[in-house]
Amino acid sequence: MDFNLPAEDDPRRLEVRRWFDENPNPSYEQLAKKGYAVPHWPAPWGLSADPELQLIIEEEVERAGIIHPSTINPIAVNQCGQSLLAYGTDELRQRFLPPGLACQEKWTMLFSEPSGGSDLGALRTHARRDGDDYIINGQKIWNSLAHKAQVGVIIVRTDPTVPKHHGLSMFIFEMSTPGVEVRPILDMTGHEPEYNEVFLTDVRVPASQMLGAEGMGWRIVLEQLQTERMSMANPGAVWGYGPTARELVSGLIETGQIKDPLIREEAASLYVEGELLRLLSARDLSNRINGTPPGLEANLGKMIASPHGQRLSTLAKRAEGVAGMLRDTDELPLPAMDYGMFDTWDYCYWFGPAATLGVGTQEVLKNTISERLLGLPRDLDPTAKMPFNEIGRAQLKAAS
Amino acid sequence: MDFTLSDEHLALQDSARYFLSKEVKLEPYLRTEANEKPVARDGLWSAIQGLGWPGLVVPEAYGGLGMGCLDLVMIVSEMGRTLAPSPFIGNLAGTWAIERCGSEAQKQALLAQVAAGELTLALAVADPNGDVNGLSAGARATGSGDQWKLNGKKSFVVEAGSADKIVVIADVDGEQGFFIVDAKAAGVQIERLDWRDVTREVNAITFTDVAAERLPQSDADSWSWIRDRLYLVLAAESAGGAEQVLADAVAYANERVAFGRPIGSYQSIKHNLAELAGGIELARAGVQFAAWALSENRPEARKAAAIAQSYASEQYCAMTFRSIQVFGAIGFTWEMRNHLYYKRARTNAELLGSPRDQREQLICLLEAEHRAAA
Repeated sequence: MDFNLPAEDDPRRLEVRRWFDENPNPSYEQLAKKGYAVPHWPAPWGLSADPELQLIIEEEVERAGIIHPSTINPIAVNQCGQSLLAYGTDELRQRFLPPGLACQEKWTMLFSEPSGGSDLGALRTHARRDGDDYIINGQKIWNSLAHKAQVGVIIVRTDPTVPKHHGLSMFIFEMSTPGVEVRPILDMTGHEPEYNEVFLTDVRVPASQMLGAEGMGWRIVLEQLQTERMSMANPGAVWGYGPTARELVSGLIETGQIKDPLIREEAASLYVEGELLRLLSARDLSNRINGTPPGLEANLGKMIASPHGQRLSTLAKRAEGVAGMLRDTDELPLPAMDYGMFDTWDYCYWFGPAATLGVGTQEVLKNTISERLLGLPRDLDPTAKMPFNEIGRAQLKAAS
Repeated sequence: MDFTLSDEHLALQDSARYFLSKEVKLEPYLRTEANEKPVARDGLWSAIQGLGWPGLVVPEAYGGLGMGCLDLVMIVSEMGRTLAPSPFIGNLAGTWAIERCGSEAQKQALLAQVAAGELTLALAVADPNGDVNGLSAGARATGSGDQWKLNGKKSFVVEAGSADKIVVIADVDGEQGFFIVDAKAAGVQIERLDWRDVTREVNAITFTDVAAERLPQSDADSWSWIRDRLYLVLAAESAGGAEQVLADAVAYANERVAFGRPIGSYQSIKHNLAELAGGIELARAGVQFAAWALSENRPEARKAAAIAQSYASEQYCAMTFRSIQVFGAIGFTWEMRNHLYYKRARTNAELLGSPRDQREQLICLLEAEHRAAA
């Protein structure tokens, strides 16, 4: 065991740094071509980098003052891109990956529905085969970036006669396809909308744009959620992003509020938890280096990281007092780092309630951990085994 | 960079777990008589000495195995998991005091005996009020050269009853000094305190003109150096204990049926246990990091030790509380082992100052760093 991170003079770091010296202000296309958008992917997309090299590249991208491609186009770089890599045909990969990784085409993930949030498997949007195409009808919600996206990755029901998790399939398609309507949602932060509703009316998608085979959708979703959670076990204020306890403590020292005994105690306790969360994500990284498959540690990390972030921004706002209650106002010093949308204590604070909802609610996460990690009995789902099209009031009543 | 435990560490953990699962007997502590008078110690400590564990972190030059703190926490976590009633950590405290403050001759003589399992030590720090940071208060040393006399009273000494020699922190003309006395020397009076955790002996000691030998290499930093290592072992014990208590609670929740279902299928129980599992995982990560940082003399070691102890002891308290709730009223009885862990958790959280004290130390370090950077 060795907790040293790759040193400043690590030869691999120097090589990456040299490239940034030779290519100041690279475009996202240049970054992607060099393999720095997804270094852990195989060639030609990435460098088959081990997690240590990944970490070096991530740090050097940050050092060069570039907002990481995974922040600009997260769905392509982080979540769904990997599914396309694993389950798409070569033709699909050539069509969608280059502009996606170069952040020229933004992607959106069309998963959640008004009737299928935590219980995603209950989704109702369906696709019917019609010759060489599928025709999609239904409604999605909470789709981040959908209003700016050129590409959508969607999960739909292709077979309603089997139990709910079995009849699902995944497609990738252009958001400009006729029948796709995007309506931004104004969320409680009052900021420029981040999330959308997406209505799909007779949207025709070629069968060749299915990822994997018909009925494989649920398996691909589970793999994606696992990757998504992995990136979230950092100690920032929202889903691991944004300012951390280190920055909060340093701000409170600067303003002198650290002398208030109640603020001091809460700040110290947050600092402790934040440092331990860092160690947990470092261990995820090491496990990957050592070839241990990603386990439930990432879920544990998110379970703690989300309320940790809520407590962080709550303490920040408590310290700001009444002056902090004005729109877009921060009294505490802001972090020096560029955290993208989670750049201010103010936004993190008012965004806070979403942290324990997004990517599976805290309650569902705790179910997962207690069932899969601790081996406690599974929660009852009377609809889990019955054909989807037979789920209804009468059946629910009979099953309960 | 490798944050994962090596195969050697895992092997050490496995062998410790196997040994302790056979050797530790908690039954005597769960009989009602254990509430009346202390349970007599069994052969566990001599078996542990036979394995060479007391010499684990003693440098090779002094006859020990010269292993690092990470190796140590592999074993201490397992001792915490089983509660292993023995003077192991009391002895360790005395060992570190001699390693840090002893002369070359003292180290040669004493550490070799500890490593060989021929000598058991203890360390007296706290004054009768339990203050470990006033340091010297409670005992006073007078004299010079190799002629010293100790007077005063120390308390909350871990396992002094098993010790052959006791290291005492005492006031020498307003400064802090480290001294060593024979536990059986004239003027040493050891009293057993009615400590809540019956698996651990804790003592008060009165010194009346006791002949003492000084450990001459001590300085202003000696106590913090030892304290950080003791934070680590307490935290390792707590993390190991909490893991066991979680496993017990999960097993019981799977087994116990109410209203036609195992109680572990109710979310109010599942979710609590999931949260605790997360906290215990963080505690374990903190213990391992602190062990590494202390072994490598990293600048962040002091912070890491305070983080590990404050967090692990609170998680242990939370876990042992929840375990009794999951077990229901049976968990409240003396005959169940839940209360032994419950008491170990709470006494571990107070023995060297409270979690809040450790967080205060942490914040003071951060304030100092901030001033230095400005």
